[in-house]
This record gives sequence, structure tokens and C-alpha cells, in this order.
Amino acid sequence: MKQKLENLFLQVQKPARYTGGELNSVTKDPDQVAVRFAFCFPDLYEVGMSHLGMKILYSQFNNEPDVWCERVFAPDTDMEQLMRENEIPLYGLESRDPIRTFDFIGFTLQYELSFTGILNMLDLAGVPLRAADRTEQHPLVVAGGPCACNPEPLTDFVDIFFLGEGEEVDLEVINLYKEHKQKGYNKKAFLRACADIEGVYVPSLYDVSYKEDGTIAAITPLDGVEPVVRKRIIKDLDTCYYPESFVVPYTDIVFDRAQSEIFRGCIRGCRFCQAGFIYRPVREKSVDTIDRQSHDLCRNTGYEEFSLSSLSTSDYTKLEELLDRLLDWAEQEHTNISLPSLRVDGFSEELANRLNVLRRAGLTFAPEAGTQRLRDAINKNLTEDEILDTVTKAFKGGWTAVKLYFMLGLPTETMEDIEGIAGLGQKVVNAFYTNPDKPKGKGVTVSMSTSCFVPKPFTPFQWEPQDTLEQLREKQQHLVSSIHTKKISLSYHDAKTSFLEAVLARGDRRLCAVLEAGNKRGFNLDSWSEHFDFDAWMAVFEECGVDPTFYANRRRPYDEILPWDHLDYGVTKAFLINESKLAHEATTTPNCRQACSGCGAACWKEGVCVEKR
Amino acid sequence: MKNVRIVFSKTGRAKYVSHLDLVRTMSRAVRRAGIPLWYTEGFNRHPYLTFAAPLSLGYEGLRETMDLRLEEDMPYDRLVERLNEVLPEGLTAVSAAEAVCKAGQLFAAEYRITLYCSAEAVRAALALPELPVEKKTKKKTTKTVDLKPYFANATVKETGETAVMTVTLPSGGADNINPGLFVTALSGILGSEIRVDVLRLRLLQADGTEFL
Repeated sequence: MKQKLENLFLQVQKPARYTGGELNSVTKDPDQVAVRFAFCFPDLYEVGMSHLGMKILYSQFNNEPDVWCERVFAPDTDMEQLMRENEIPLYGLESRDPIRTFDFIGFTLQYELSFTGILNMLDLAGVPLRAADRTEQHPLVVAGGPCACNPEPLTDFVDIFFLGEGEEVDLEVINLYKEHKQKGYNKKAFLRACADIEGVYVPSLYDVSYKEDGTIAAITPLDGVEPVVRKRIIKDLDTCYYPESFVVPYTDIVFDRAQSEIFRGCIRGCRFCQAGFIYRPVREKSVDTIDRQSHDLCRNTGYEEFSLSSLSTSDYTKLEELLDRLLDWAEQEHTNISLPSLRVDGFSEELANRLNVLRRAGLTFAPEAGTQRLRDAINKNLTEDEILDTVTKAFKGGWTAVKLYFMLGLPTETMEDIEGIAGLGQKVVNAFYTNPDKPKGKGVTVSMSTSCFVPKPFTPFQWEPQDTLEQLREKQQHLVSSIHTKKISLSYHDAKTSFLEAVLARGDRRLCAVLEAGNKRGFNLDSWSEHFDFDAWMAVFEECGVDPTFYANRRRPYDEILPWDHLDYGVTKAFLINESKLAHEATTTPNCRQACSGCGAACWKEGVCVEKR
Repeated sequence: MKNVRIVFSKTGRAKYVSHLDLVRTMSRAVRRAGIPLWYTEGFNRHPYLTFAAPLSLGYEGLRETMDLRLEEDMPYDRLVERLNEVLPEGLTAVSAAEAVCKAGQLFAAEYRITLYCSAEAVRAALALPELPVEKKTKKKTTKTVDLKPYFANATVKETGETAVMTVTLPSGGADNINPGLFVTALSGILGSEIRVDVLRLRLLQADGTEFL
């Protein structure tokens, strides 16, 4: 097989994605390890290799002497076709051994549209799709990541889901597996034992029944397992494992740089944002830890750039102190620091200059909504004045381009809010032309980009209907006709992919049949527009007798049993209901540092929940 | 400031590293090695690092060259040692020395080409009165080139199932012939795609001595 594979490499685009052997990749003797783990990212190499979570767990697993974790990505179309023609099953990049011989096949669930990629990868690996069809001879299929907060559309295919942060729970499961292997492994007994570990959800141990109207009647735990599974969090990020090196790819990837995580969670509580709720509570790493980890990473990878990773960089409590420390060595070693999701306004001029903030990052704002009323409803605390102040300063500094991000279809949105988007863009344009120091002979470009709102589990909007395709199209048209200047360039997201995302995000177990039927039709990599076929999806829904609008466009009553009600992410349903009601009154909620709103995450007694205010 | 020429090999898994990727990989390796690189001045500072001749994707090379500009001196053997501590599988530094030849002095390259067909077939092709093949030009058009004169110096040996050809071909600014062109011509003659392994042995000046 390995020679056959070698012959394929020169027939495909960018073969360095399939060869393995990159710097810092880990090779072990298969006879000397007890557990082989295939860490699969259900998307192309360039996307998967950019993902921080995978880098952390890959290094951490391989830190265990008797565990060998390898990386696996979805092959691109040309490679997949050749692999199928030459009967080469999906393999681990490090050993090039077929992953169907491994102990675990693990997937990370980063976005709903990657679900079809998971099934395609299992198929390409030669592993039965359905968990029930896999015996002791097959690998266990496990999955974690943000979409595990409602994994119900994947429950027929996955044996074990990890809820929350993986650093501790994943290894606990691997260790339990080793024990079971030693005393005679039985899959059913192993799964039952796993279910007693906090953060482990074994879907086959829960039965879901439905009412005649299609909503859920009950979710019943079987075999004496806990009725509710709670996610895991890492209590102390300073002592938690963090890799000293990353695999350094040969070929260009999306985020080709070192990354240092500075905190988890977000204090903001924007009501549309799933990450803002499922990663609570906010826990920071200390300046010392970040400084040491960043420097180690840069030294061991040779990266000329590293970024600080979090949901909102500016909310790190000691940001200036941290940057001072980092710049001390970064400037000397010609290493750039990149700061995503940064609010530029809070910085001293000196620091802004040292960081070259504007040169690299450009000016980007995410007001999300066009009017203050709607921004209050979604709890996005960014005011028009703040935006206009900052762009005016930037224009004075010679800057001529601004990017603005919005969402269409937010709950309570009216056409007035849509006009507000155009109005805000116009005000930014005006700010440029009223500036007396504007650069001579240059115009301004305001790029406005709109996506479609997708209601997500564990947010205050989890009960909301998504706008229909017609409504979204109408709003897009209205926005186009509300813009009266050529200085604004507008782009919008395809509503069809957002619709499918909405179906899968809040779907239940009946969608498993849809995904399986889609796999037979060759659905794969749906987040890439060249792969996504909306009409084929609609045909599959029809064939399976599943109405997608039931999941996407229906307002769910507060007392309905939701498909993820047996999963606990700390944030209580009572809090989310209250937030939902406040949204409809356009009332904001203070952020976690201003005041505690009692979301429920304080149950862990960690991070911001126990900080002095 | 000093220009150092590193001779390195690129074999095994590293043959799938494209030239652009090699530049990035080497620049990071040099950083990891803690070699005191000289950075360009100006708005977008980057290390000074150049390669004499890009190697096609899928080819291996035994004596490729890379030039570095150092900010302060470092013993050459120490430089090689440090690089080899941090280079990924398939890339190995062989030696380092002050760059003697100017880039323009690169004239040719010597190759060993393993063709998965009989030596007879290869000899027969070389014996034809001409060997026309389509070659892409820099302007993205194609022109027909006769390979015959370029391959006049080729020697062919039979080794089991394969034919091993050694040949010196023009490389550098003025004229460039990629050994893959011969494989294309041969495949055309035989009516089937010939598998091939290409190994660049060394880079040469016009007088036939090594480009160093």
C-alpha cells in the first residue's frame, strides 16, 4: 500500500498535505504503544492544521509514552478519487497505516457543515458508519469540540462524545480503555464504564422518544447512567498542559503561525454567540505563563509570527503588561505579534506603534446590527459613537479602508434595522470626507459583509425561528437598495448554507438518517461552495421524510424538550429564558466583570466568577 | 555581513516540498537554529535567503545550494551542525562555505534519472534523429524544442527493471532544460506514462566544475 500511495503523490495538487513527516510531527514504534489514536479534522489539511485545539491534544496525547496520536485530514477531491481508485484507505499522516486498524478514531466538531465530511472520512477509512455495526474489531469513534453541545444528528455514528474541554477527560477515557484492554475488552461494558466519567456522553445509553407533533416526548437514560451529562472545564490554565512545539507544515495553511491561548470563555454574553456561553466561565492564563509558552513555541517552530488567541483579546485584564513582556523578546528576534479581535481604541499611542496594530490588522468592526435598539437586543455593546470615534482617528492616521461585519435575520429585526446598516456605512464614509486632514487624492472604501443569523443551542436565541430563505433574500435586497454610495462595497453570505447550518445545529437524532442518505449521494465538505448542493440536500430531506423547516424556522416554546436538554454546559435554562425575554425588550445585560448575572457557570467556582469586582 | 553558501540535500519525504514551501521551511529552520541572520531593512523586514536553482516538485537533490547573509560570524561547521539539529526529515545540510560563484555563473546541472522501462527503449529514443517536445515558455505559450542535442551527453545503464540515465542539462538564466521533458517525449513514443525518479547530483559552472 505504501508504494502505491507514494505513486499518487505526484499526481495531485499540493502533495505535501498527504506525505506527513513535517517538523515536530511525532513518530513512534507501533509495537511499543498500547493505544493508537487517529485525530481527524473533517476538512482539508490547510484548514485543520490551523486549528489550535488539535495542536494541543496531538501534543498532549503523544506526551504519553504508550499512546501514539496521528493526524488525519479530509483529502481534496483529486486525492480522494485516486485513493478510491487505488483502494487506499484513509491513513494516519505519521505512519501511513490505515486508521481502521487504530484503537480510536477521533473527530473534532468545529462547524455543522463538516458533519458530512465525518461520514465521508469514515467511509474512506473502510469503517462501518453506524456505531451499532462496529464491533470489538473496529476502532471506537469519538468526537468533541463546540458542536458536541448538540451532537444529536451524529449519535448513530459516534460511540462517545466529549463535552467541554478535552485535556483531562480525553486521557481519562484512553486510560480506562487501556485497563479494559488488559482485562478483556468488551465494547458495551467499556462504553457503560465511560459514561460514569464526567464530561463523557455515550449516546447509545439514552433513548429519545417523540410526540405526534414531532417534538421530543422524553430523553430516557438507560442502564442506570446519569440523566444529565455535564461538560468538563480545566480549572487552572496555568498548570494545564500546553504544547512547547507545533507541527510546522511545509505547505501554506490558513493560520501559519504560533498561537498562544490567553484565556478561555468570554465576559460579553452577546446573545447570538454560542462560544460566549458554552465556554464559560472566563479563566485567564497568567502573564508569566503566556510569556514562557509563547517564547518556547517560537523557538521550537521558528515561526516569524505568533498570535494571541481568545474570543476577545482586549478583555484580557493585563493586556498592556503582557504585550510589554512579549515585545521585549519578539522585537529582538524579529517576531511579529498578531492580535485578532482587538479593540484598537484602548491603546496608548506608543504601544500601538510598537505593535504596528494598524498596518497589520486593518480596521475591522463587528457591530452585527444596524441600530442601537437591535444591538441592545442582541447585547452587543458597541456603540455608533465608538465606531465613528475610532475610524475618525484612523482616517487622521492616513487609513482609507474599513471593514464592517453584520448579521441579517437577527431576532426582532425589522426593515428599519436593515436601513440602519446602510446608514452606519454611510456615516463611516462621511467621517472620512469631513476629516480636514484626509489623505489627498484618495477615496475611502467601506467593505460591509453580512452573514445570516443561525440560532444555536445554549444561547438565549435557541428557541428562535431562523428567517426563511425568502425573508433573508428580501432583507438582502432591501439592504442593497438602501445603499446610495459607491464607496460602500457589500457582500453577503449565501442564505442556503446558513439554513442547513440552522437545521443541523438544532437537529435531533432523526437527522442521522438524512446524513447517512447524504453520504450515499457523496455529500462532503459542505462548507466549500463548490461541494455544497442545496437541491440535493432538499431531495434527501424529502426522501427521508424529514421537514428541515421544523428545525430551522419554527419558534420553539420555552417548555419544549430540546434535543440537547440532557447536556449541561453550566449555563442554566432559566438564565437563557430570562435573557431571551430581555432581548425581546431590547434590554442589555452587563458583562461578567461589571456584575454577575447568575448564568450558572459559577457552579465551578473558577475564573471570573470568583474574581473581585 | 557575510554571504554563506550552504550545500544541502533534499531527499525522501522532503521531495514533495515545493520550492516556495522550501523557502519558508528553510527560513524557519534558520530561525530555530539561532543563526544570526541579517534582516533586510525597511517596512517589511525579512531574512536574506536565496537559492541558486529551484528543484521541481518530486525531484530529489544531493547538493542543492542556499545562500544566507549573516549579521555576525559563525564557524561554518557549527552552522552545519546547528542546522542539522533542527531540519525536518529529508533535508540535511552537507557543508557551508563562503559563496564563491555569483548566481550568474550557474550554467548546468547533472542528473541521475531512473526510468521505469527498459534501457533498450531509452537508447532507442536517444538514437532517433530528433526528439521534439512541447515546452512551456515564460510567457505561458508553448514552443517545440528538440531534446536531441541536449541529451547527446547522456549515458544509460540497465539496472534490473529500470534504466538509469546520467545526463548534464543546461540550468540557470540563459537556457533551462528540465529532465521531465525527456520523460514526456519517451512516454509519447512508448504510448504510456513512464514512472521516473529524478535525482539532481550537483550544480555546475560553464567549465564543468561545481557551482560553489
